[in-house]
Amino acid sequence: MTYVHDIHPAPKTFISKYIFSFDHKVIGKQFLWMGIAFLGIGGMMAMLIRWTLAYPGVPFPVIGQFLFPHTDGVVPPDTYAMLFTLHGTIMIFYAITPILIGAFGNYCIPLMIGARDMAFPLLNMLSFWIALVSGVILMASLFFPLGGAAGGWTSYPTLSTLIGSPGVGQTLWALAIFVLGVSSTMGAINYITTVISFRAPGMGYFDMPLTIWGLWLTAILNAIFLPVLGAGGLLLIFDRVFGTTFFLAGAAATSGTGDPVLFQHVFWIFGHPEVYILILPAWGIVSDLLSFFARKPAFAAKSTALAMTTITILSTLVYGHHMFTTQMSPLLTQTFMTLTMTISIPSAIFFANWLGTIWRGSIHFDSPMLFSLGVVFVFGLGGLTGLYLGTVTTDLYLHDTYFVVGHFHYTMAASVLLGGFAATYFWFPKMFGRMMNECLAKWHFWTTMIGLNGIFMGMMVVGYGGMHRRLYNPFIYEFMERLIPMNKFITVSALLMGAAQLIFVWNFIHSLWWGKKAEANPWKVGTLEWTIPSPAPHYNFDEIPVVKCGPHEFGNPALGEDRDFQYQTEELAKS
Amino acid sequence: MSRNATTPEFFQASQRSKMAMLVAYVSWSMLFATLFLGYTIYRFSATSWPPNGFERISLIWPGISTLIIALSSLSFVWTRKSYVSEDRKSFVWGLILTTIFAFGFLGAQFILWNKLSLMGLFASAGVFPSIIHAFTWIHAGHIACAILAMFYLFFFIKKESFLKNKIITVKNIENFWHFLGVVWLIMFVFLFVV
Repeated sequence: MTYVHDIHPAPKTFISKYIFSFDHKVIGKQFLWMGIAFLGIGGMMAMLIRWTLAYPGVPFPVIGQFLFPHTDGVVPPDTYAMLFTLHGTIMIFYAITPILIGAFGNYCIPLMIGARDMAFPLLNMLSFWIALVSGVILMASLFFPLGGAAGGWTSYPTLSTLIGSPGVGQTLWALAIFVLGVSSTMGAINYITTVISFRAPGMGYFDMPLTIWGLWLTAILNAIFLPVLGAGGLLLIFDRVFGTTFFLAGAAATSGTGDPVLFQHVFWIFGHPEVYILILPAWGIVSDLLSFFARKPAFAAKSTALAMTTITILSTLVYGHHMFTTQMSPLLTQTFMTLTMTISIPSAIFFANWLGTIWRGSIHFDSPMLFSLGVVFVFGLGGLTGLYLGTVTTDLYLHDTYFVVGHFHYTMAASVLLGGFAATYFWFPKMFGRMMNECLAKWHFWTTMIGLNGIFMGMMVVGYGGMHRRLYNPFIYEFMERLIPMNKFITVSALLMGAAQLIFVWNFIHSLWWGKKAEANPWKVGTLEWTIPSPAPHYNFDEIPVVKCGPHEFGNPALGEDRDFQYQTEELAKS
Repeated sequence: MSRNATTPEFFQASQRSKMAMLVAYVSWSMLFATLFLGYTIYRFSATSWPPNGFERISLIWPGISTLIIALSSLSFVWTRKSYVSEDRKSFVWGLILTTIFAFGFLGAQFILWNKLSLMGLFASAGVFPSIIHAFTWIHAGHIACAILAMFYLFFFIKKESFLKNKIITVKNIENFWHFLGVVWLIMFVFLFVV
């Protein structure tokens, strides 16, 4: 059946075009701006954290006196707790989520499936504005007495109850997360419905680019598991505002039968799928880009899609591995450990498929490909180090150390960040009609790679050495003093990585106005968004395209000399 | 675009809407399921229920709430049938009746909360009253949203085209209302009866 697409009229005013826009492309760009802004804020917080760990008691250079005048520029302990709490929260919920899911989900889904917009444009617009309101609530929390939330991004009670965090900041944190959950659920409803209903005629599920598979599976996980965190957040708000006792126990509760560990269950029932919510879009994007820039069909693309689906399902069953140290029954720990290890199987399948895709390919080392290869490298490291944390015996030693911090930064931060950069460099021409500077992009890539590996590898080393996370000054413990040089190395690496992002910001902003004009298909790939002009016009497609082949048709000998790819709208070339 | 019930456009819009609402119900179900997960853990880890010497709550007002929400669901079915048969007068009366029932349910909830306070079952008095209060608050919050949705329908009643192009909206609000009724029924059984 040919689907009929509602088309909202082209906006004429500045407000309807750029502020309250119904257009999925504009909303995608709004999410991108929001994500980049929060990436800067979260990154700055990371710098303050790293400075404190490398140079405890030393004023933060240049802006320290302005930020912390009462301590002569030194980050105070309570502020340090706020910094690591908000750094985690901002990076996960307000930087990575808006960029990978909000920006590229919105921008790519209709374009790559041959639709003119999302199924529910109004819902889409509301999703962005609610997300922005949530971000404002979170940042506003910093300006209340006692400051922002300080219970860690996981906000475990009793740290996050009124006893652990008496200020308004923690309440606003929970409110912000709840509001963001509403926004993301609205987005998920839109993504799922759009992919199911608006695929172009001829496009079966396995004809969808793997980017769409990743975003679609993410939306499914979001729809199912964000409400779980929402419920936990609501109960936490009730505990803090109305005095309920869900997460209070023992002497802390008025009548005492609350259960702080229940919050951990609720948090991780959401939290483990959240890891995949973040990484699945990056996996999908990388799976496509490796094929595009190796000029080869994606190796076993169907099995990659099925492996991602299997991981999505398994990700819902393994949350207990975050809680091995909460007096969990040994029978349960072994069950969760086994299920966790099971995820290695589909992970290994699609990882092997990535290698199969680039094996003997005509690799073009353009910036999207470099960043995609970066994802392959850092996700490999992140995935492998996860095995130690999914195993009960080693987790008991490594739990809550910097090894965990290094591991999850490799998987959730490095992989996703590099995937986001790959996507930005790749779709920038379609989004803005101009090319980003390749030379600067390569500088950005290599300095980022050196910096991030210095940081996260270093974190795993100090974690293995016994350094616990979230300590303001770990070096008051004598055995940790020998880890100071390594911490300085990590901080220098962080400064390098931070400086590398300035290259990106310059390149991004400069290219918006002065970048080379982009052709319709600068990367010579065949997915649907490259069949239309750059930047994509308001209506996307004059005529809804009819899909006749898959998204990774490269190197077909029947194609002839002039090009090595074919569009999804073309019949598969046969000799 | 025309939403005339005989066109393919209408059929597709209807399918999309059903799909979106299905996803939304999954999300709402997970929200309430998480609350019940907590309830189950508290209940099975307590030596007795209600714990801490609290008395059981009288079934009178929860029972009245159940009766009202059941009647409201029936009246919403009548309302929707009136809409489908393009009987504007019956539709309006059905919607008014359903809205009255909806406010009646909220009223019964306020009385329940007042009775709980009189029994000393304040939200802060322990996990048992915390559960009763928080669950009913969250449910009542959704009821309030559904009432707003019903008011949305009132705004369009006078428009000529109303009886032709709002069936998807009417059905969605009706189904949401039934969903909240089912959630209340589960809450009634597990929080008050067993």
